Amino acid sequence: MISHNDYPEIKPKKKLIKQIYVWIIMLVFGRAFQAASRVDKGAKAEFDAMPADFMLDFYVMPNGPHMVVGKDDNGRIKYYGWNPAGKKITLFMGIKHLEAGIKMFTFQESSCTAVARDRLEVDGDLPVACGVLRIMDLLEVMLLPKIVTKLGVKRYPKWSQMSPLRKWASRLLVYVRLTTG
Amino acid sequence: MQLPGYYEFCCRVKTISGHSALERIPEALEKLGAKKPMIITDKGVEGAGLIKVLNAAMKGSKVKVGAVYDNVPPDSDIKVVHAVSKIYCDKGCDAIIAVGGGSVIDTAKGTNILVSLGGDDLMRYAGAGAVKHKLKPLIAVPTTSGTGSEMTLVAVIADYERNLKLAFVSYFLLPDIAILDPRMTKTLPPAITAFTAMDAMTHAVEAYTCMAKNPLSDSAALIAIQLISQNVLNVIRNPGDMEGRLALANGSALAGIAFSNSMVGMVHTIGHATGGACHVPHGVCMSIYLPYGLEYNMHRNGNLTAELLYPLAGARVYQATPRRERAEKAVAIIRQLNQDLHDATGKRHARCLKEIFDRDGKQMVAKESLPLIAQKAMGDASQFYNPEDLDFKDFMFVLEAAYEGVPLDRRRVKKG
Repeated sequence: MISHNDYPEIKPKKKLIKQIYVWIIMLVFGRAFQAASRVDKGAKAEFDAMPADFMLDFYVMPNGPHMVVGKDDNGRIKYYGWNPAGKKITLFMGIKHLEAGIKMFTFQESSCTAVARDRLEVDGDLPVACGVLRIMDLLEVMLLPKIVTKLGVKRYPKWSQMSPLRKWASRLLVYVRLTTG
Repeated sequence: MQLPGYYEFCCRVKTISGHSALERIPEALEKLGAKKPMIITDKGVEGAGLIKVLNAAMKGSKVKVGAVYDNVPPDSDIKVVHAVSKIYCDKGCDAIIAVGGGSVIDTAKGTNILVSLGGDDLMRYAGAGAVKHKLKPLIAVPTTSGTGSEMTLVAVIADYERNLKLAFVSYFLLPDIAILDPRMTKTLPPAITAFTAMDAMTHAVEAYTCMAKNPLSDSAALIAIQLISQNVLNVIRNPGDMEGRLALANGSALAGIAFSNSMVGMVHTIGHATGGACHVPHGVCMSIYLPYGLEYNMHRNGNLTAELLYPLAGARVYQATPRRERAEKAVAIIRQLNQDLHDATGKRHARCLKEIFDRDGKQMVAKESLPLIAQKAMGDASQFYNPEDLDFKDFMFVLEAAYEGVPLDRRRVKKG
């Protein structure tokens, strides 16, 4: 006699700590996107080149977390939080699973390596997606110490490409805006 | 062997290759459930009598060609896609046979999106992943051995009103069947044979040396390089060499498989920008920029470039060259191949940017346009797959050398 207990339903466990870690990193990045668009000329130029209806949902498949960033009615970059519901998303960028997200956000894998290894799935305009990745690299340079950033970017900018003044001024201002909103 | 920690590979195009491959089309269509295909082609293919060859191959079968559109421009155009789609629907066709080069096959892919998914705005499907459903049967019959479009999941279609080139990327854009028949490339002029072959060579070389390489695409890339390097000069010197043409067609298809799964790097980044800014044919850009891309990245992937010496020059040269010199030797062989093609085509095959002329003999790339090319290159997605980073100054550094046709001063390459 076969009982239902012989074939129990298995519900996958949640990777809560990893999910919280990625959620925090995305929160920081989301707010840093908004801050950098106000204080750094490189980031501002990248955002200016994006369409007026730009609305990004950067998320981890299949269930999040999400980071929603887009342009408001005045064309300014705004972090819209972690809930994409009700937003008119123009660009979806999905990390294929949480483990890939952890690799990327613990800088074990640079954003370029992640792209090369098919970790990301893009649904939307490719040049705009390229712009987003360039800004993420820029944010890593601004926010993190060189020893960590070098793991995450292909080429750490030399003084001739980004002056120490710009880097430190942007770093300070982005951190201030990150914490004060 | 570099094995990536993770990769994805997909090629589900049935390939029919051989001297009478076209004759299989009626049966192939029947298996796909189609009876009334539309043929999409261009004036050059039609004028060369290749559609007659195709029709003769289908003679006596139940296939009824619903319509022939033979006016695809050299660069795929969104307006043309809309026009072709209307004809397809009006004539009640149920499949597409694309006979031509990359532009024709890309136009056919765009048309297939509209006729399969409906609507009258192709823009809705632009970008990656927007095409989410299976499309109508598409058979690709390449008439150049270069683009590899018969094996790729990409279509690039221009919107001239908005001055944009739209990329469509989806696994559903892979053709159902690719037919590689050497009769289809027999009438190709030598200069076009040369630069389209170098286009395919670039696909294979960049697939092998750039960041998204994987073992499956590597195997396709290496065979592609071997087939192309061994046959391109013979075919140009002896246009009736049908074995050589079949080898080139296979090389191009293999290169297409390789780069569709490994993507490409800075040679394509600058090539796309040059095409956009100066309307230079894509293959011409590829043949010129290929040695520069390898030189620029050599501090990152010189070991991989060194491995290319074997398929490029054969076992004897590979063994006779000291290990530390193999990468430079591979680049030198590609430069020499460009020189040989230049000589074999009566100097029509350009070796540097200043040697590119249009049909009226007018120089196509002015030195003043180099900054514009560099600027356009900054927005190209293929840059992400390149081993070394490039900014505006780096692009200018490469462009200036490529304009004059002098090797890159590798001491000036900024290393990450």
